[in-house]
Amino acid sequence: MIAIFNISPDQMVPQQGAQNRDEPSKEPDQHLQRMTATRDFFTQQMPPMLIVEDSNEDFESFRRYLRRSPLQIPIYRCTNGEQALAFLYHTGNYTNSQSAPRPGLIILDLNLPGTDGREVLRRVKQDESLKKIPIVVFTTSDNPRDIEDCYQFGVNSYIVKPINIEQLKRDIQVIIDYWFDVTTLSERSED
Amino acid sequence: MTGAMSELTNLDLTNCDREPIHIPGLIQPHGVLIVLQEPDLTITQLSANTQAVLNRSPEELLGKPLSSLLNSSEIQNIQQCLSQDFESINPLNLSIASPEKELEFDGIVHRWNEVVILELEPKITGKEPDFFDFYHQVKEPIARIQKAPTLLEMCRVVVKEIRRLTGFDRVMVYQFDSDGAGIVIAEDTDQETPYLNLHYPPSDIPKQARHLYTLNWLRLIPDAQYQPVGLIPAVNPSTGQPLDLSMAVLRSVSPIHLEYLYNMGVTASMSISLMQNQKLWGLIACHHKSPRYIPYHIRTICEFIGQVMSTELINKAASENSEHKQHLKSLQTHFVEELSQAGFLLEGMEQLKPQLLDLIDSTGAVICSENQCIRIGKTPTEGEVHTLLDWIKPHFNQGIFETRSLPKQYPAAKDYQEIASGVLALEISRIHRNYILWFRPEVIQTVNWGGNPNKPVEVLSDNSLRMSPRKSFELWQEEVRGSSLPWQPYEVEAVAELRNLIVGIVLRQAEEMSSMNYELQRSNEELDSFAYIASHDLKEPLRGIHNYANFLMEDYVEMLDEDGVSKLQTLVRLTQRMEDLINSLLQISRLGRADLIRQAVDLNDLVHQAIATLTITRPDLSIEFRIPRSLPVVECDRNQVIELFTNLISNAIKYNDKDERWVEIGFLEGNEIPLEPRDSPIFYVRDNGIGISQEHLEKIFQIFRRLHGRDEFGGGTGAGLTIARKVVERHGGRIWLDSVPGQGTTFYFTLVAETER
Repeated sequence: MIAIFNISPDQMVPQQGAQNRDEPSKEPDQHLQRMTATRDFFTQQMPPMLIVEDSNEDFESFRRYLRRSPLQIPIYRCTNGEQALAFLYHTGNYTNSQSAPRPGLIILDLNLPGTDGREVLRRVKQDESLKKIPIVVFTTSDNPRDIEDCYQFGVNSYIVKPINIEQLKRDIQVIIDYWFDVTTLSERSED
Repeated sequence: MTGAMSELTNLDLTNCDREPIHIPGLIQPHGVLIVLQEPDLTITQLSANTQAVLNRSPEELLGKPLSSLLNSSEIQNIQQCLSQDFESINPLNLSIASPEKELEFDGIVHRWNEVVILELEPKITGKEPDFFDFYHQVKEPIARIQKAPTLLEMCRVVVKEIRRLTGFDRVMVYQFDSDGAGIVIAEDTDQETPYLNLHYPPSDIPKQARHLYTLNWLRLIPDAQYQPVGLIPAVNPSTGQPLDLSMAVLRSVSPIHLEYLYNMGVTASMSISLMQNQKLWGLIACHHKSPRYIPYHIRTICEFIGQVMSTELINKAASENSEHKQHLKSLQTHFVEELSQAGFLLEGMEQLKPQLLDLIDSTGAVICSENQCIRIGKTPTEGEVHTLLDWIKPHFNQGIFETRSLPKQYPAAKDYQEIASGVLALEISRIHRNYILWFRPEVIQTVNWGGNPNKPVEVLSDNSLRMSPRKSFELWQEEVRGSSLPWQPYEVEAVAELRNLIVGIVLRQAEEMSSMNYELQRSNEELDSFAYIASHDLKEPLRGIHNYANFLMEDYVEMLDEDGVSKLQTLVRLTQRMEDLINSLLQISRLGRADLIRQAVDLNDLVHQAIATLTITRPDLSIEFRIPRSLPVVECDRNQVIELFTNLISNAIKYNDKDERWVEIGFLEGNEIPLEPRDSPIFYVRDNGIGISQEHLEKIFQIFRRLHGRDEFGGGTGAGLTIARKVVERHGGRIWLDSVPGQGTTFYFTLVAETER
């Protein structure tokens, strides 16, 4: 399993640097170990997952239970809408398509600094090429209007972040099972 | 009296008005009247008393030139007088030689209808009054008249001055109203019985007498018991008509009038016309118990004073009105100021009750707003006012309706004409049904008739025919029955002005209200979006705490003892409780933000759905749901109202410790609602639960207000009733409750605004 931290080049967001110093410092070894282990086990390469989430704690919680899955899913993270769009369109810091592969699934938070998740969703779902990428909104908001709007834009699933650890575990398990095991995703990128 | 009465029997008001009082063919005996034919001034007609006054027989003078009586310079004076304005030259000093002594006369000459009339009144004093006497005599009174600050004050000055000049024992100013009825407004007398403020019917002074008063401004009867003197010949030879004595100072008055003077104990009388805009405004009336002759030059002064007063009337009346207007204005300003400080028009007016009667001189007033009435002073009943108002409404002219004789236009008002013969109504707002009505009583109630109208002495009369006082009073009473004193034009103006001011206030209040509403709405919206954003943003760190506490338990389980784990579990539990609270806040905030979607909702379905939702998770729940009769279909927001019922029913289930629990859901409508009948139903949710003590009734709708411990009665965030109230308020309705501790609670609510009834 690969976890790739897309550290924002934007120096205006210093917390990200701090966060990256803190947590991932001890992690790469573990990841590499597990990746090696799982690669031996599974022959099929899982498509990457892009998580657009500004909260480090929420991201950490998500990744924590994602990691427990036996499926090897490369994870890319963006912390705001601009980054996510740059990632998908290979612009800005992501001109190299190797560093920004086309994701098989986007986990999208709605309330993001700057360009928020609603805008990202709208842009992606209006793009002929990108709209095939399934998007799961994973957000705090249970506002009926948000739910309605997101489905109008063509979101594939809308999940309200629970404040309940057991529920969280179940939610993540179901996401992975559904989108990476049960579902056959379109693999071909048109660009 | 008998004679007068027998004459009276043939007179009604109509022929009273027709009696030709300007051609009586008679004069009073205190002077002689000589008719002259121009150009040579031949004597063609004269009074029969020349022998007594001039010591010449009529036969001796008739047909002779005037020179047979007067010398040439005197005749020249008269000629000159006739060619000029004789008013300024009268009286002429004339002397006539007689065997005993030289007789001195005041000669008064005038030309009227082509006829020259010379009247001679014997001089009483030896000294000739000259211009300087006149000047001295009038200077003081006129200064005082002009200085008088008010019309009434001027009248008081005038009666004093006239009495001082003439020595009459009673001098009055008598003012006519627009109908010709009169009132004594000023009096100076040494007599016991005052006539001040007595009222008199218009019939007291017939039309033709009024006409004469406008021509000839001063009339004198030195002795009412005089023997009238005829003219020789009776018919004027040059005109072939009875001699027109309209302008003659010696004209004999109607015998009936003399009779009345006698009955009043008046022997000498004089009256001076007071004119305003060529109309008879009133009279200066003078009475004396014994005969009293007033020399011509004094009469001239009196007449002059009358003329000055007439001129001043316009000024004084104008300034009188302006003073009154000023007074009204200040009352009005005060009234409006206080009114504008009151939050609501009706409340404001209620506080200003007494001023409302001062504002417009009235004895009763009613303020109507919507269907409420505030009655002040003497007014018809509330029911009568409403019916009256309905009748008045189509009669409003520019928002004002006024009448001084309501029963004549609106017969139903006969029932209360004693208190409301006069009505002045003001329409402030037709939409809000805001009206003010002022009432004046029937005039009989207010007029000081001076006691028993049988007594002739109570009637002021003048040189005119009139009915017997008794009959006159009855007739007059009949005339004024159902009539009040008139509303003065300036009063009506003041009311119109008041209307503008009130409308101004109402508009301003409406404006303030709408800007307040706007502010309130804006701040409510801000609060809602604040609550939404805040609770949303609160959730993120809360979720972090929740998850990380769990991570601690997962990752460090070996390092934690039982107590450590239990504390972390408490931490997790608290995060979940906090989430419940935040969710309640969010829900309330969302209620405030979401659009209200009104649609026809069958409340039966809705309530059953709410009950199902509540019971489905608790199959063990033993509770009886009572719906006594089928609930109606109402226009409401389905999602919100289901929330409302869910919260109320949930509370009813929760707060119940009885063995047999029940919840009743029903409604009241129409006549089932005592005191407050309305078209839209009142719904209720009733339980036999623990009830709420009186002291807590106010608090239960407050957000997160709990009356019981967190874990008692199944817990909860304490937001349920706040949500319920929010739903009701969003529908424009009201929610309230009745509760008996230990027995149960009933929540009532409506889903329609009161004004939408």
